[in-house]
Amino acid sequence: MSDFSIVEAQGIRKVFPNMSAPVLDGVSLTVDSGDIVALMGPSGSGKSTLMNILGCLDGPSDGSYSLGGKDVSTLSSRERAWVRLHYIGFVFQSFHLISDHTVLENVTLPLYYAGVDRHEREARAVELIERVGLGHRLNHRPAQLSGGEKQRVAIARAVSGAPRVLLADEPTGALDTKTGNAVMELLLEIHEARALTLIIVTHDPEVAEFCHRKVFLRDGKIVPRGGRHAANA
Amino acid sequence: MPRTRSEVVGRAVRTAIRNPGRTVLTMLGLAIGVGAFLAMVSFGTGARSSVMEQFEILGTRVVYIWTNMNRRDFGGTARPLTDADVDALLRDSMTIERVAPRITEVQNLKSADRTYPTKVTGTSPDFVRIREWPMLMGGMFDETDVRQRAKVAVIGTTVARELFGRLDPVGQTITIGANLPCRIIGVLISKGQQTTGEDMDEIVLIPASTYEAFLGTPIGYHELMVQVRDLSLLETAMVEAVPIMRRSHRLAEIEQDDFRMASPAQAAQLARFVSNILTGLLVGIAAVSLLVGGIGVMNIQLVSVAERTQEIGIRSAIGASPRQILMQFLAEAVVLSFTGSLAGVALGWIASTLVARAMAWSGNLSLLTMAGAALFGTSVGVAFGYLPARRAAQLEPIEALRHE
Ligand SMILES: Nc1ncnc2c1ncn2[C@@H]1O[C@H](COP(=O)(O)OP(=O)(O)OP(=O)(O)O)[C@@H](O)[C@H]1O
Ligand SMILES: [Mg+2]
Repeated sequence: MSDFSIVEAQGIRKVFPNMSAPVLDGVSLTVDSGDIVALMGPSGSGKSTLMNILGCLDGPSDGSYSLGGKDVSTLSSRERAWVRLHYIGFVFQSFHLISDHTVLENVTLPLYYAGVDRHEREARAVELIERVGLGHRLNHRPAQLSGGEKQRVAIARAVSGAPRVLLADEPTGALDTKTGNAVMELLLEIHEARALTLIIVTHDPEVAEFCHRKVFLRDGKIVPRGGRHAANA
Repeated sequence: MPRTRSEVVGRAVRTAIRNPGRTVLTMLGLAIGVGAFLAMVSFGTGARSSVMEQFEILGTRVVYIWTNMNRRDFGGTARPLTDADVDALLRDSMTIERVAPRITEVQNLKSADRTYPTKVTGTSPDFVRIREWPMLMGGMFDETDVRQRAKVAVIGTTVARELFGRLDPVGQTITIGANLPCRIIGVLISKGQQTTGEDMDEIVLIPASTYEAFLGTPIGYHELMVQVRDLSLLETAMVEAVPIMRRSHRLAEIEQDDFRMASPAQAAQLARFVSNILTGLLVGIAAVSLLVGGIGVMNIQLVSVAERTQEIGIRSAIGASPRQILMQFLAEAVVLSFTGSLAGVALGWIASTLVARAMAWSGNLSLLTMAGAALFGTSVGVAFGYLPARRAAQLEPIEALRHE
C-alpha cells in the first residue's frame, strides 16, 4: 500500500504491580500502513499485553508509542478513548459482544459513540453485517449465535467505525479449524477492501502464512527468528 | 454528542426491560423500602392525631371535677356536687371562666311513634360553650329556661334520626322517662364517632333544674365541667379549685378530698409525649427499612457488577468515553430508582389509606412526605447503582474487560 509507518512503538516496557520481571522488556515495533503482521510467540510471552498497548486499551510503563504520527503514550484516558473510537478496531479471542444487545445494536455501538445519527449508523451496520454473511441474524442476541457467527459480528463491529488499524488477538483461538479459516479469510477480505493495517496474534503457522510479516515475541522481547519457539508453544 | 443525548434515557429503559430479573430486584428493594417508610410515617402521624382529636373533643381548656358520692370507699361521707359548688368556683377563683354541671343517666325516650333509650344529660347553657359545640338547627336553652325548669331539650343528630327519621325535630315533643314531655328546641351539629366507638351524637341535653325536678338527682351532679380563662392557667386553676371545693364541702383538715379532678389537656400532654416517642420509633424503623432497601439495591449491583464491569470494559474498548459510560449508568440508575421509588410511594399510599380507613384516622400522607420519600429513595438507588459503575468506568478498559 504505502510505506509510511502507522504504528511506531519504541522501547515499550510493561511491568505489572506485584510482578518482579517486566512482561514487556523494551519492545520496538514499526508497522507500515496497509501491512498485515502476524505476532507470534509462546504462551505468556506478552503478545496480548503488547496488543493491548498497541490498541490503547492499556498504557505502557515506559517507552513511546505513536499512532499515525501522533504520540499516544501520554494521552489522558478520555483522549485514548477518542483514539480507540476513531483509529482502532479490536477483535478479541472471546468475542466480547454485549449480551443484551442484538447483532445490529452491537455493530452500531461505535457509530453511536461517535455521534452518527440513527439512520446512517443502522444503514452502515446493516451493510457490514450483510458483508460478513449475517444479514439474516440482525435481531439475534449473541447467545443465539455460534462461535464463528459471534466472531463475524465482532469483526463487523471492530470495523464499523472505519478504523485505520485492526488488531485481532487470537481471533480464531476459540474456533475449530474450519470456522477459524473462514474467519481468517473474512479478516483478509476486509483488510483488502478497506485498506487497513492488520495485526494478528496467532499460534497457527498456517494463519501466519497469510501475513506479509511475522514478528516473534519471547520473554517480553522481540526475537529475530522465533519459528522454533512458536512451534514449542 | 448532542444527537445521542436524547437516546440515553431510551437506552436505559431498554436495558431495564431486557434484564427483567435485575430490574425487578432493584426496584423491589427500593419499593419496599420507600413503601415501608411511608407506611410507618403515616401510622405514626395518624395514631397521634387521632389521640389528639379525642382530647380536643373533651374541650381544650377544661378541668373535670367528679363526685365521689358513688364510690364505696368513701362510706357515705362524701358530699354531693351542687349548685353551691358551681357558685363558689365562679365566685372565688380568678382563673375560672365557666362552670357547667352535668348529670347523665340512661332514660327511655318516646316520640309520637318511636321509642329510643339513650343517655340524657341535665346541664347548663355553658355546656355547649365549654365543649365548643355549635348548633345545627334551633338553639340552646338559656338561663331563663334553667330558672323556670323549662321542659325543653336539645338533641344530637343520632337521637334525631332514631326518633324522627327525616322529619325536622325542632318543635316536636318527646317524652323522657315516665312523664317528662319536652319540646325540642335545637339539634347539635354532628361530631361523629370517637375512635373508642362512642357516638358523640347520641346526646340529649335538658336544663339541670328540669332534670332535678322531674327525674331526680339522688347523688347530686356527676361532674362539674370547668373552663379556664386560658390554657396557660390550667395548672393554677387546678391548684386553686381544691381549697374552694373543700371549703364549699366544709371538709375538716384531716378529711381527704371527696371529689376528683383531672384535665384532658394534661392527659393530652402525656399522650403527646408518648406518641412522639412512638412516632420517633416508627420513623426510626422506617429509616432502617429504607436503608435495607438501599442495601438490597447495592447487593443486586454487586451481583451484577462483574457482568456490568465487563460490559463497561467492552464499551470502553470500543471507544466510549468515560463520560458517555457514566451518562448511561446514571440514566439507568435514575430510571430504575425513580420507578422503584414511585412504586414504593404507591405501596405506602395504599397501605396507609387502608389502615387509616380501618382505624377511622383522618391524618394521611402529605404530598410533601411522599415527594420527599420518592426523592430520598431515588437518591439511595442512584448512589448505590451509580457509584460501582463510576468506579468501573475509571478502570483501564483492559482491567474492566478482564473482570470476572
Ligand atoms: N494484569 C496483569 N497483571 C499481572 N500479570 C499479568 C497481567 N496481564 C498479563 N500478565 C502476565 O503477563 C504475562 C504475559 O501475558 P500475555 O497475556 O501478554 O501473554 P500471551 O503472550 O498473550 O499468552 P497467550 O498466548 O497464552 O495468550 C503472563 O505471565 C501473565 O501472567
Ligand atoms: Mg494472549
